[in-house]
Amino acid sequence: MVETTSSVTKAESTPKTKHFKSRKRQKKIGKIITYILLIAISIILISPLLWMVFTSLKPMNEIVKYPPTFFPESIEWSNYTTTVNAFPFFHYMKNTLFITFFVVLGNVVSNSFIAYGFAKISFPGKNVLFSLVLATMMVPGFVTMIPQYILFTKLGWVGTYLPLIVPSFFGSAFNIFLMRQFYMSINNELIEAAQIDGANHIYIWSHLMIPLTKPALITIGIQSFNGAWNDFLGPLLYIHDEDMYTLQIGLQTFQNQSTTQWNYLMAGATLVMIPTVLLFFFAQKYFIEGMDLTGGSKG
Amino acid sequence: MVKRNKKWLSLGITASMALLLAACGNGGSTNKDNADGGSGDKVELEFWSFWGSGMRRDAVEDIIKDFNKSQDHIEVKYVYQPWGDIWTKSLASIAAGDPPDVIVQDINSVQQRADAKQATNLQEYLDKEDEDISSRFYPQLWDTVMYEDDAYALPFNTDTQVLFYNKDMFEEVGLDPENPPATWDELEEAAHKLDVKKGNNFERIGFYPLWNLGADVWALNADHGTSWFDKDGNVKINTPEKVEALDWVLKQQDYYGRDTINNHEAEFGSGVADPFISGLVGIRAQNINYYTNLLENAPDGFNYGVAPLPEKEEGSGHWSWGGGFVLEAPYGAEHPEESYEFMKYMTSPEVQEKFGLNSFDIMANEEANENLKEHPDLDDKGHMIYDMAHKNLEQTVITPIPLEAPDYTELVNGQLDEAMLGNKSAKEALDAAQKSVEDLVEQHK
Amino acid sequence: MATTSTSKQNKKKRWTKKQKKDAWWGLLFVSPFIIGFLIFMLGPMLFSFIGSFTNYNLTSRMEFIGLANFKRMFTQDELFWKSLYNTAYYVILNVPLTAVGSVLLAVLLNQRMRGISIFRTIFYLPAILSGVAVYVLWMQLLSPTSGLINTVLSWFNIQGPAWLFDPVWTKPALILMKLWSVGGAMLLYLATLQNVPKQLYESAEIDGASSFKRFYHITLPMITPIIFYDVITSTIGAFQIFQEAYVMTDSGKGGPANSLLFYNLHMWNKAFVAFDMGYAMAMSMILFIIVLVLTFVNLKLAPRWVHYS
Repeated sequence: MVETTSSVTKAESTPKTKHFKSRKRQKKIGKIITYILLIAISIILISPLLWMVFTSLKPMNEIVKYPPTFFPESIEWSNYTTTVNAFPFFHYMKNTLFITFFVVLGNVVSNSFIAYGFAKISFPGKNVLFSLVLATMMVPGFVTMIPQYILFTKLGWVGTYLPLIVPSFFGSAFNIFLMRQFYMSINNELIEAAQIDGANHIYIWSHLMIPLTKPALITIGIQSFNGAWNDFLGPLLYIHDEDMYTLQIGLQTFQNQSTTQWNYLMAGATLVMIPTVLLFFFAQKYFIEGMDLTGGSKG
Repeated sequence: MVKRNKKWLSLGITASMALLLAACGNGGSTNKDNADGGSGDKVELEFWSFWGSGMRRDAVEDIIKDFNKSQDHIEVKYVYQPWGDIWTKSLASIAAGDPPDVIVQDINSVQQRADAKQATNLQEYLDKEDEDISSRFYPQLWDTVMYEDDAYALPFNTDTQVLFYNKDMFEEVGLDPENPPATWDELEEAAHKLDVKKGNNFERIGFYPLWNLGADVWALNADHGTSWFDKDGNVKINTPEKVEALDWVLKQQDYYGRDTINNHEAEFGSGVADPFISGLVGIRAQNINYYTNLLENAPDGFNYGVAPLPEKEEGSGHWSWGGGFVLEAPYGAEHPEESYEFMKYMTSPEVQEKFGLNSFDIMANEEANENLKEHPDLDDKGHMIYDMAHKNLEQTVITPIPLEAPDYTELVNGQLDEAMLGNKSAKEALDAAQKSVEDLVEQHK
Repeated sequence: MATTSTSKQNKKKRWTKKQKKDAWWGLLFVSPFIIGFLIFMLGPMLFSFIGSFTNYNLTSRMEFIGLANFKRMFTQDELFWKSLYNTAYYVILNVPLTAVGSVLLAVLLNQRMRGISIFRTIFYLPAILSGVAVYVLWMQLLSPTSGLINTVLSWFNIQGPAWLFDPVWTKPALILMKLWSVGGAMLLYLATLQNVPKQLYESAEIDGASSFKRFYHITLPMITPIIFYDVITSTIGAFQIFQEAYVMTDSGKGGPANSLLFYNLHMWNKAFVAFDMGYAMAMSMILFIIVLVLTFVNLKLAPRWVHYS
């Protein structure tokens, strides 16, 4: 099987034994196998994306050709300029970023807060309430879509970003459940000790739990960024003014009843992906940093 | 670390409160209210369509500019909504009682929307006219907007199914490029002449009826223009003509082999690679607006022609099938009279001609198409297309969704697939579909 | 429903002062959810519950018709059963495959190696891409003759199937596509693995435990809370599969021989094609009950295999 730990360096500094040399060789082989696996899986996972990027660089008359080419025969950089000029790309990006910022903020804060209540404090009716959390996940979205739309119309929120942003400050069932699971694996003694020291729950949550659940918070942050960044149905329904449109709506301009402009669509999809890729690349480092803190930061 | 957390948190909460307040302030006042209160009597109309970029968008914005200039009572604001989803959105806004003023809708479901009170009855405005507005349009298009003797929409554009064929290829195999196949037998014969076979594999397929066209169209063509439902709403799925049509389609599939057909279909199903432009097929039965594709993507000098769908046998009729879009004022729109004014403008011969010229769409207005087939700004191919479209529309049937069986499609398609897969004979499949759809009609009664 | 050890003790004992105070704290913490639920969720949920007993058509009609929708669903609507079958097929394969796949990938990525952050990013990339682009990409990849997948299969002398055009292979094709974007779930496991104390591995290593043993006895139990979460939520998600089938089957026509007519797709057609929203709401009730029962079973089984610290 595959190497599962990250403790390679530490193990190497243990005293030498006869056993050790063969273990070291084993490790090396294990590492090579791991790399081969990583590279193989990477190729599988990335080739569809390469296909997308290559398509985005082809002129349309090459795209309609059969058999399809993998590498573009001639590179058409102008696809990208056409794409960002077909609709106000950077303006829509700003709109999307605005919505996404608040959705991420709302999700990270509210779910962490709410889930702490469910995981670490006991109060009457908790189980009923938690069942309700689970139940809200199970209702198919588009049955409640129209009633919800009517509700937001009554509130006067249609045509603004409020229907997209505000609900995220009241927790989402999936993320409450997820955070709860993370909290459940944290030892209760920690909280009890803090309480004996006179700390209240707000203090425990903000000073003890937030640092301890950093990987989980980052995960929720990334996932909700991804979700809000790529959300299509929400902005579609609630935004009536083209000036307030988001990137995902903009991308649809390349599709109409008779034709799809694949090269522009793919160029657009590639551009839209970039911010999330960068965010992930930098955010995932915190996973490792979390581990660096005095050998597995958990007590 | 901890301190920073706290700061970040309070910052976020303040920011979001500020946003909430700011956005709530805007929430109450929509554009419409501003327009009403602001500049005297001027009415602002919101017009939704799915023309997002390129030719159609430029064309429609140009026309709206003209309209806004032509009078000082109505100001139209154009809003693009994504294709397909535009109707989900409009439905939500109608249900919430706050719809746009005019919207481009599917021609096949006007009656359904009229029945469900999603569209505004336009009859009172039409009755006030001196001119007979209905005479602007092809009669079968006008039929689709009528519900219980009242009109609920104005047709905007349309389309029809025709044959596209590669003239050079015809020449190459000794077929007359000016004399495309006129009956199913001739079509089959021409197809087999155009086939190129290498070993067991077809390198070129002359013609296969189900690429870009459904078996329903061939059935309709065979059955003298009667679709799955006749004019009175009776289910007509397993008529002898339709069984024969499906048998004929099956015969074509057997000839090339199901694997070959499947592979090709899968290859081109996503619409990326184009087998007609790539020279993999010689004849293609398809929506006439495929012309725009050819215009944009075919190499220079690509020599093709168009012809009506062949008739099953001489005298049975070159029946074809079409669709299109209409302009509709959603139910609950605030200014129906002004909406109607704008819709009337959009369907006038001059505006229709202009839209067609700039978008290459086939228009719903007869006069516009007649002008376009000789329009000096179009080239020979353009004239050919409009000429063909205009002629073909005389034998083109529009098939509005029947009110008693709005979602019958999956039931029929499922059975057609069973036949194509060889699990059922044509007769068995159509009999089963007939029964299922009759059941569905029963459920809705 | 969700049982925790502390809440059971509460019922037996009398309320101490601290517990009373705690109760207020608990309510404070969960209050955003309660408020959000009351404002945004309760109304629409009740509305669709009531709607399921009516002939609601969204715009002009809403009359009480008793259980007629349910009767029609079970006795007259052949596509209801078809869609239920398709969905169950998808859930049964998709849920375990993505769970196993994402755990394995996460474990593989949870190492300190040169370039690991690049690999992590690459593994997550597919989960970032969304919308029509994904489906178009996959329709190309799955092309029987020129598609990447069958081309690769042909190197090993395997004749690939016609995927999206053969009713037998449409659902596996979709499952394959979903497996590609397993990165989302992988991320959860990756985050969880950060909580596994390193000392546990070190002591196991000194004891000479094999990689597999370490995985089975240390890693696996530690991530069971998240596996539990993943299984429940991805079951719920899989039952609601919709967009993939909607785009890949040409505006929701159901695919070859209706093999991709999933439950939600059928429901969508009823609601937005036939404007039979009452019926769609009734269908959603049935789906709700199915998922509820499965979740309940999951929760009951949980104490046997989920380890909280």
